[in-house]
Amino acid sequence: MIQIKNVSKWYGDFQVLRDVNEEVKQGQTVVVCGPSGSGKSTLLRCINGLEPFQHGEIIVDGVSVSDPATNLYRLRTEIGMVFQRFELYPHMTALQNITLAPMKVRKKSRREAADHAMKLLERVGIPEKAHEHPANLSGGQQQRVAIARSLAMEPKIMMFDEPTSALDPEMIKEVLDVMVDLSTGGMTMIVVTHEMGFAREVAEEIIFMDEGSIIERGTDISFFQNPKSPRTKDFLDKILM
Amino acid sequence: MDLAVIPRNLHFLLGGLVLTLELAAISLLGGFLLGILMGLGRLSSRKWIYYPATLYINFFRSLPLILVIFWFYFMVPFIIGRPLGDFLSAIIAFIAFEAAYFAEIVRAGIQSIPQGQVMAGYSTGLGYYETMRNIVLPQALKNMVPPIVTQCVIIFQDTSLAYVIGLKEFLRRIYLVDSRELRSVELYLFAGFVYLVFCSIGTITSRRLEKRQIGR
Repeated sequence: MIQIKNVSKWYGDFQVLRDVNEEVKQGQTVVVCGPSGSGKSTLLRCINGLEPFQHGEIIVDGVSVSDPATNLYRLRTEIGMVFQRFELYPHMTALQNITLAPMKVRKKSRREAADHAMKLLERVGIPEKAHEHPANLSGGQQQRVAIARSLAMEPKIMMFDEPTSALDPEMIKEVLDVMVDLSTGGMTMIVVTHEMGFAREVAEEIIFMDEGSIIERGTDISFFQNPKSPRTKDFLDKILM
Repeated sequence: MDLAVIPRNLHFLLGGLVLTLELAAISLLGGFLLGILMGLGRLSSRKWIYYPATLYINFFRSLPLILVIFWFYFMVPFIIGRPLGDFLSAIIAFIAFEAAYFAEIVRAGIQSIPQGQVMAGYSTGLGYYETMRNIVLPQALKNMVPPIVTQCVIIFQDTSLAYVIGLKEFLRRIYLVDSRELRSVELYLFAGFVYLVFCSIGTITSRRLEKRQIGR
């Protein structure tokens, strides 16, 4: 579904990604962890073409992201993205947040888009908040609306960029529950997170990034039990305490 | 003091006030629309859009308005071969000049919206235009309202400079009445009063809007 081949990226002289290789198969959930500044978020933004990269290739669903002939807008409709700070549109209600792209991009009627949006809000457990503005929702509710907003485009892939890092502890579970549900439902997912409980439960693969490179990868159990590099061990000790 | 000079010439003076308001309104609208384009241009990542827009803005912001008014009055006929008339040439000068200031207001307003909002729009497949129109501009416009109102007040005052090309706007007519009636004190006090009333309305509106924003 996603092939990342030898990808390197620089901001000026600073190299943020170093020769990154990764493959995500259809229906897989891959968890990416690592210290801040290790290039995790940048990698996600390269996958849906929000940021360019200078070297290597990323192929999403058979389409090369860096090919100038690729219609990035079209590609992005296949890849949902959820942000750390939710990024809901504050001047719109939850429902309007969800229906905007389906109406403008997929040219759905208001009615059709709203019906679908209500189904998604039910799926994330907050249909009663459809007509609230983001400011009136808790962090966990906002993030669930944001997930529904991404799902509204019926993407083949969902990417999550630290979706629970800005949440109060008691709200983390409600968001993770939605994500577990998606993962077990067969969605292809790349999740940047430090929620190792989530990783244990659903991840087919866990990769650890540091200073722009993937320095460790493993399928769940092996990753936690015997990390190969001291850097990974150190990091896991810190976040697992 | 002979305040009777004012009612005696009120019709003539009000005509000038109407012209002033027209000039201000058209300059405001035209300047704002052109300003949005220039402001967006100033934020563009495409060099062939960014540089001309930046040059335009810096150019007009470094010139005194009175010079711009003169330029359009004297130079446009030179280029197109016939005079434009004082009203039209004043309008063009004002729109061109004010657009540079509106562009900076628009730029600041757009930059006040977090980049994540744009990314959220793009990530759902929206294009540049749809993201701007539906996500960024509605939020940015709210932030722009107070400086825009302030700019309106400034434009209203600036229109008095059109007297230099003989346009019979409000202040020019005060001058004309004065040269006939020799009542400078009364007339210029009245002029000041009128400007004060109109500009205060603008300032009060701006305050109200700012308060409402903070309360939001």
